[in-house]
Amino acid sequence: MAKARQIPGLGPDTRFADAAAAAVEVRSAEVFEHSAGVLDSDDIERVHAMRVSTRRLRAALEVFAVCFERKEHRRVLREVKALADALGERRDPDVALEALAGVAAELTRADRSGIASLAAELREEQKRGNAHLEQALARTRESHLEERLAALARAARSAEAEAGAARAPATQAGAAP
Amino acid sequence: MKARKVKELEPEGALGANAGRIAAVRLEELRSFAPRALDPAEVEALHDMRIAAKRLRYVLEITEPALGPSARQGAKTAKRLQDLLGEIHDCDVMLPRVRAHTGRLRAEDAEWVRHAAGSRAKDLAPSAARGAPNRARYRGLEALSVYLSARRAVLFERFLREWEALESGGFAARLMEGLNPDPHRPASDIGGSGLSPSQPGPAAPAGGEGP
Repeated sequence: MAKARQIPGLGPDTRFADAAAAAVEVRSAEVFEHSAGVLDSDDIERVHAMRVSTRRLRAALEVFAVCFERKEHRRVLREVKALADALGERRDPDVALEALAGVAAELTRADRSGIASLAAELREEQKRGNAHLEQALARTRESHLEERLAALARAARSAEAEAGAARAPATQAGAAP
Repeated sequence: MKARKVKELEPEGALGANAGRIAAVRLEELRSFAPRALDPAEVEALHDMRIAAKRLRYVLEITEPALGPSARQGAKTAKRLQDLLGEIHDCDVMLPRVRAHTGRLRAEDAEWVRHAAGSRAKDLAPSAARGAPNRARYRGLEALSVYLSARRAVLFERFLREWEALESGGFAARLMEGLNPDPHRPASDIGGSGLSPSQPGPAAPAGGEGP
């Protein structure tokens, strides 16, 4: 799993809205860079990397929420969450299967058939998760999420966003896990 | 679990001051779960505490350039806690799943044995169960359940030890002091409550304070 990239140009005195823009740009780029080959269930690290990147992007959107145009921020955050959920639906059986393989290797031969039956059930879940992830990725492309995230970040830097943010209540909105 | 709101954030203000306020709220949020999460039966509180650790970690990671080495150290601590609570959560998710799977196999077997007896059977001999198709599978699934229950207990005891060490070491107070760039200004001014080991944060209301 790749480490999170440093966000360039941040310091204690950086304008909060500029930090918000930089954070969303960097974290968004990480998400879409990791999307290549993510549907390959033979390489479970790809989905893991994209899921972690999506979590980091979501965290950036939540931490800096007050800096973004409210309606578009809410829409974008909802879409990022949906993508994260689809990645989780694929990733959870991946993790469980890996853990089961580790347990099965340590138990006796007679114990393995029971674990294999549970693994078969998880592989079906993995397939369903992959199908849902494929749909979620397609929706992400259709809604131009990457471009909209870039636009949201640009707007946070602009004077227009400054005015909008000044009108919005100055609180960081709560968010679901 | 909804995150608590952070008040007085200023888009035009400095990253350092805003980040300090967010980190302070996230730290208190994490600590507020401790009384309940120290009970091994409180699965939901443990789960919420893991989410709170994740939120604290991410805010510290993302604002580290503004908050300095304390933020880096705090993020590492939060990640360690998040990982450990995640391992416990995995057991909490997997255990009922193994039991449900075993239940399904049992139901299938009972149906199979019932069917093998024929529709006009008056009673059923125990030997009929020998042919149950899933018979050989229960042993491994029971062993897996035993392993998961025991591992959960081991991990939970480790969590208690590690949490106690963090609290008695004053990690919250040290983190808040470290996030405060002005040594003449109390940590409470940047949103902290001058947290000390004997002064845990307020308990989170059910569902958090978020919208």
